[in-house]
Amino acid sequence: MTKKYFGGCDVGSTTGKAVILDENGNMVASMIVPSEIDPEVTSIQALEKACAQVPDLGGYKNLAYLVGTGYGRNEVAFANENISEISCHAMGTFFCSPTIKTIVDIGGQDVKTISIDNDGAVLEFAMNDKCAAGTGRFFEAMSRIFRMDLDEFSSLSLKAKKVIPVTAQCSVFAESEVISLLARRNPPEDIAAGIQMAVSKRCFTLLKRIGIRPEVTVTGGCAKNKGLMKALAKVINIEVTPLAVDPQIIGALGAAVFARRRQ
Amino acid sequence: MAIPSKTIKVFEELLESPQNRLVEQAVESGRIPIGYSCSFVPEALLMADKLFPLRLHAPGLAGTELADNYLSCFVCSYTRGLLEFAMDGRYDLLKGWVFVPSCAHMQRLYDNLEYLQKPDFNHILDVPRKVNNDTLLWMTEELQMLADKLAHHFGADMSDVSLRKAMEQWNDFASVVQSIGDLRKKPNPPINGAEFHQIVMASLASPKDLILPYILDFKKEIEQREGIKNSRARLMLVGGHLHDPEFIRVIESQGCVVVADRFCTGTIPGFKTIDINNDSPYKILAEYTFAKTLCPRMMEDFDRRLNTIIDTVKEYNADGVVLEIIKFCDLWGVDAMPLVSALRDNGIPVLRLEREYCLGGEGQLRTRVQAFIESMGK
Repeated sequence: MTKKYFGGCDVGSTTGKAVILDENGNMVASMIVPSEIDPEVTSIQALEKACAQVPDLGGYKNLAYLVGTGYGRNEVAFANENISEISCHAMGTFFCSPTIKTIVDIGGQDVKTISIDNDGAVLEFAMNDKCAAGTGRFFEAMSRIFRMDLDEFSSLSLKAKKVIPVTAQCSVFAESEVISLLARRNPPEDIAAGIQMAVSKRCFTLLKRIGIRPEVTVTGGCAKNKGLMKALAKVINIEVTPLAVDPQIIGALGAAVFARRRQ
Repeated sequence: MAIPSKTIKVFEELLESPQNRLVEQAVESGRIPIGYSCSFVPEALLMADKLFPLRLHAPGLAGTELADNYLSCFVCSYTRGLLEFAMDGRYDLLKGWVFVPSCAHMQRLYDNLEYLQKPDFNHILDVPRKVNNDTLLWMTEELQMLADKLAHHFGADMSDVSLRKAMEQWNDFASVVQSIGDLRKKPNPPINGAEFHQIVMASLASPKDLILPYILDFKKEIEQREGIKNSRARLMLVGGHLHDPEFIRVIESQGCVVVADRFCTGTIPGFKTIDINNDSPYKILAEYTFAKTLCPRMMEDFDRRLNTIIDTVKEYNADGVVLEIIKFCDLWGVDAMPLVSALRDNGIPVLRLEREYCLGGEGQLRTRVQAFIESMGK
C-alpha cells in the first residue's frame, strides 16, 4: 500500500457509520451498519465493510489515523483518538458545505443544534438527550403505528392537505394520541404532517438556544425525512440546505477529516 | 494525573452516609449534631460548645418516591432528596435543623419536616436579601436569637467566650482547607477537582475537629506529589448545590482539571477565615456571612457574584467556566442567563449544564464537556 488512508467511525445508538478519506481528502468509501449491542462490534463491522471498498487498503488496521465519534466513541479502543460527535458533525458539514453556519443533527436517540464558525469549529451547541421525543426513535415508533417504513411515512406526510396538531413532548403520549386520531378516521397524511411539525417545533426550540444563522442544514439519519425538512423550513422560515453527501454519515466524515488533519 | 491517595479513601467512606462514623463517634461522646442546608448559616455558630454542624446531603439518592407525595415534581431534586432521606430515617441522629428561606423550595422542606416529623428543634434563620447597615443589624439579631434558642433548648454554652473559641476552631479548619485549595493555582496542581471536593464535602458532613487530622495527613501527602501534567484545559465550576464529587470526576475524565469552584459547598469564597475583632460575635458572624456568601437569592448583588467569578478565573488561570444548575432551581436558573452573557462578554467560554441533584446520564455529560473543551480549541 503506497497511499495513505484516514478513517472516521461514528458509533451511534441506531447505526454505525464509517468513512474513509484518501490523502487528497477524497471520500473513497463509506458504510452504514445497524448497531449491535457492543459498540466495538458495530465499529468493526462498519470499518471492515468500508475498508473492503478500498482494495489497496487491506483492512482498517492499515488506516494511517482513525478517529472515533458518536455515543460509543470510547469503546472504539483501536482508534487513535476520539472526538465528540458535536465537533465531528460541525467539521463534516463544513467539509461538505463551508457556507453552512447552523446544523440540526437528529440522531437515533438525541437531537443537537450546533452553530459553527468560518473554519468549521463549534461556536455553541444545545442538546436534547433526556428523552426520545423528536429523535429517530420517535419517528420509528410513529411510522410503526402507520404500518410503514420511514420513507413511506415521510412520503405520506408530504401528501397532507392540512396539519393535525400532535404533541411531541413525550413519545409514549404521542403514540397514544396518534392511535386515537387514526381511530377517529382523521386522514393519515394530515396526522403524519402533524408529527413532522411537532418535531420541527422541538428543533426550533433547540435552535433558538444557539441562534439561527443561515445557511441551515440537517444531519443524521432523520435528514432523509423530506416531510420533516419541509416542516422545519416552514417553522424556522429559512430553507434547509441539503448536503451533497448522505447526511447520515456526516459525523463519520467529520471524524475522517479530523483524522486526515492529524497527519 | 494525580496518584490515588490512601487518605482519599477515608473521605470517600465518610461521604457514603450523612451519619458517618465520625458523626456517630461525636454523638456517642455527647455532642449534638445540627443539620443545615445553606451557606448563610454560619458554621462557626453551630460549632459552639457541644454543638456541631452537618451540611445536609443525600449521597447515593436513588429516588424520591416518598418525598414526591409531599413535594411537587417542580421542586428541585436536592430539596426532594433531603425530604426523602429524612422520611427514610437517614438523618435520625440529627438533634436539630436550621434552615434559611433561601428559596420557596427550602421553605416547603421546612414546612414538610415540621408537618411530618415535628422535630424538637427546627429553626428558620430569616436572612435578609440585601446587604446594608440595617440588614446587618437584622442579621446580627437573627443570629443572636438562634444562639439563644440553641442555648435554651440544648443547654449549649453560647457565651461570647464560647463563640470566639468556635470561630477560632473554624479558622483553624478553614485555613487548612484553603491552603490545599491554593495549591490548585499551580500550573500543575497536585490535586484534581474531584479529590478536592471530596475533602470539602467530607469536612462539611463531619465534625471539623475529628476530620481535621485526616485533612492534615492528606495535605502532607499531596505536597509530595508531582502535579497533574498534560491536562487539556483548566476549568472553573460554578453553580448551586453540588455535593457529589463523582460529577466532577466525570467532567475531569475528559482530560481537563477543575481548578476552581464557586458553589454552595465550594471554597471560593466560602472558606475564608473570620476576622475576629472586638465586635460582638454575632455582628462578626453576620458580616462574615454576608461577605463570603454569593447567592442569587440576594438582590442588587449580581456584579459582585460576576466579578468574583471573573477574578477567580484569572487567579486560577482557568480556560473556561462550567455553569451547573439543578433543574427547577429558580434562583440559579434566572441568574444563569445574564451570567452566561456577561462571562462571554468578558472573553470567558461558558458551558451551561442542567442536571439533577444526583449524577445521571454520564455519557451525555461527557459528550457536552468534551465538545466544550474541543470548542475552546483544546
